[in-house]
Amino acid sequence: MREQRRKDAVWQFLTYAFVVTMVVVMMVPLYWMLVAATLPQEQFLQFPPRLIPGTAFLDNFAALQDRLDFVRTIRNSVLIAVIYTLLSLVLCSMAGFAFAKYEFKFKEPIFYTILATLVLPIQLLVIPLFLLMAQLDWTNTFRAIILPWAANPIGIFLMRQNMKSIPDALLESARMDGATEFQIFYRIALPTMRSSLAALAIILFLFQWDLFLYPLVILESADMYTIPIGLAQLTGFQRIYYDQIMVAATLAIVPMVVLFLVLQKQFVSGILAGSLKE
Amino acid sequence: MATSDETDDRVGQAYRRRLRGAVGRAMRQSRRAVRPLWDRFRFARQDLTAATPTLPRVAYLFIAPFFLLFSVFLAFPVFYTLYLSFFEYQGVGQGSLFWIDLGPVYLEIPQIAQLNFIGLGNYARLLGNELFWQSMFNTSYILVIQVPLMIGLALALALALNASFLRLKGVFRTAIALPVSANLVAYSTVFLLLFNEQLGFLNYALAGVGLGPVPWLTDAFWARNTIIAAVTWRWTGYNMIILLAGLQTIPQQLYEAAEIDGANRWEKFRYVTLPQLKPVFLFVIVLSTIGTFKLFAEPYVITGGGPTNSTITIVQYIYRQAFVNFNLGYASALTVVFVAVVSAFSVAQIKIGGED
Repeated sequence: MREQRRKDAVWQFLTYAFVVTMVVVMMVPLYWMLVAATLPQEQFLQFPPRLIPGTAFLDNFAALQDRLDFVRTIRNSVLIAVIYTLLSLVLCSMAGFAFAKYEFKFKEPIFYTILATLVLPIQLLVIPLFLLMAQLDWTNTFRAIILPWAANPIGIFLMRQNMKSIPDALLESARMDGATEFQIFYRIALPTMRSSLAALAIILFLFQWDLFLYPLVILESADMYTIPIGLAQLTGFQRIYYDQIMVAATLAIVPMVVLFLVLQKQFVSGILAGSLKE
Repeated sequence: MATSDETDDRVGQAYRRRLRGAVGRAMRQSRRAVRPLWDRFRFARQDLTAATPTLPRVAYLFIAPFFLLFSVFLAFPVFYTLYLSFFEYQGVGQGSLFWIDLGPVYLEIPQIAQLNFIGLGNYARLLGNELFWQSMFNTSYILVIQVPLMIGLALALALALNASFLRLKGVFRTAIALPVSANLVAYSTVFLLLFNEQLGFLNYALAGVGLGPVPWLTDAFWARNTIIAAVTWRWTGYNMIILLAGLQTIPQQLYEAAEIDGANRWEKFRYVTLPQLKPVFLFVIVLSTIGTFKLFAEPYVITGGGPTNSTITIVQYIYRQAFVNFNLGYASALTVVFVAVVSAFSVAQIKIGGED
């Protein structure tokens, strides 16, 4: 019995040690980023490196702003991601509602055609979309970034799955009361979907927020850059100003970390919904 | 002067009062005029409502916006990539592919690109290209080490966080899942600095325990490991969340039954946890495999594919061919091959995900 208890204690200690080590590993890069972003350049270049954050964040930020209008870059990213998320939510929930609650000709073939594109990596689309956008004269515009991904197969799939659970009797009684089909959709179906919509919104927002290869091809001028493109440009200069890049990285990461802490439940359900498709 | 100001003001007030009266009168009149118009609008709306397609056909209205964008920006490009892979790209299209002149209506579909048909030439070229095989090898190398490492860590963390004795579960889970929110390029720049040979924290920490500076970014072997470390940092928490959700669906009675049978910790893991978790576990493996196949931002930012192409991934090679060298036909053939490989994994994913 005592032998067993000692074994348990050792096991518990090892478990704690492992988890705490991993937490430290996860935190070190983020902490290091904050340190580098807040130290003046000359202190940062010292060896051994300083490990305590300094107070030069605003100075570094001003230096960054001199080279690349990063405030505008953030504004672009937020604008694109928000418009994209809203647009895609509307399209996906409308189409998902139709696939969940109506019977119509070619329903199954259309749905499975859309579903089949789920397996295709988005990199497949970059080359033809680039040519298409060049033809439409849409290169270096936000609509070229937003529109192609608004019809999101994951979104329609999730919406259809979840809207199936809305009882038909509820819709039927609204129909009896003389509601139009569109009213049934946005007055009755949508409000019951609030948590699914939140999870989908997070999937869509993060998708657009992290999009890199495609905007890299489409966006040309510095005033149109999104955060990933702006950051990649900063690392491409002859001389790399790490303090400024870390300021930019901090501005890109910290707001999302805060959002994650506030909306953790929705993030987790977004991750689970986006991955466990069935 | 003062008096004239006052008179001005008095005149102004009277004028304003009169104006107000006029506006009121005009509004009352216009309201009277508008009422039939408003009614007409209401009737029109009711007519429209009555005329909206009934049940079966309204569905097409619901899917129309989605389907329009889907056709133009998803379905068409998929086929166009396949088409393009049999051609040599020579420049942006100038002429028109198709036009019809009906007097007042002139419809023109422009040619998307100037192309030269070369059959399977692009495919033959990629099979004989050393850099293609190099990028395939790099991706596979990263895959073979990174995926087991990450899944192993994620599973161990999920098991630890699922253990009944562990306190502060929420705090630990949040801390480990935090990298999920980090922008891909932003975290890559952080790793670029972290693994810097002179300034990086990692070499400093290693020096602290007496280990020499490691050429993280300039040596082929270490550069690959740097990419592996970065990807593992970003995605371990993500996989842990999925595995943890899987663990929590395992019924507690199974563990109790195993305990009554005298199973120890390992046996409980081996005979209860693993079989129960199998679908989720396989799913996570397939998902991570696909994710690593698509690797682009990390090598682009951290190593630039170097040193001497030792970390260039397939997607990065496609990007270079398409948008640095503008061999769009050849790059399309590369894309088709890449998608064939990834799709095979994706189909496996849906099969596994569909089992439970």
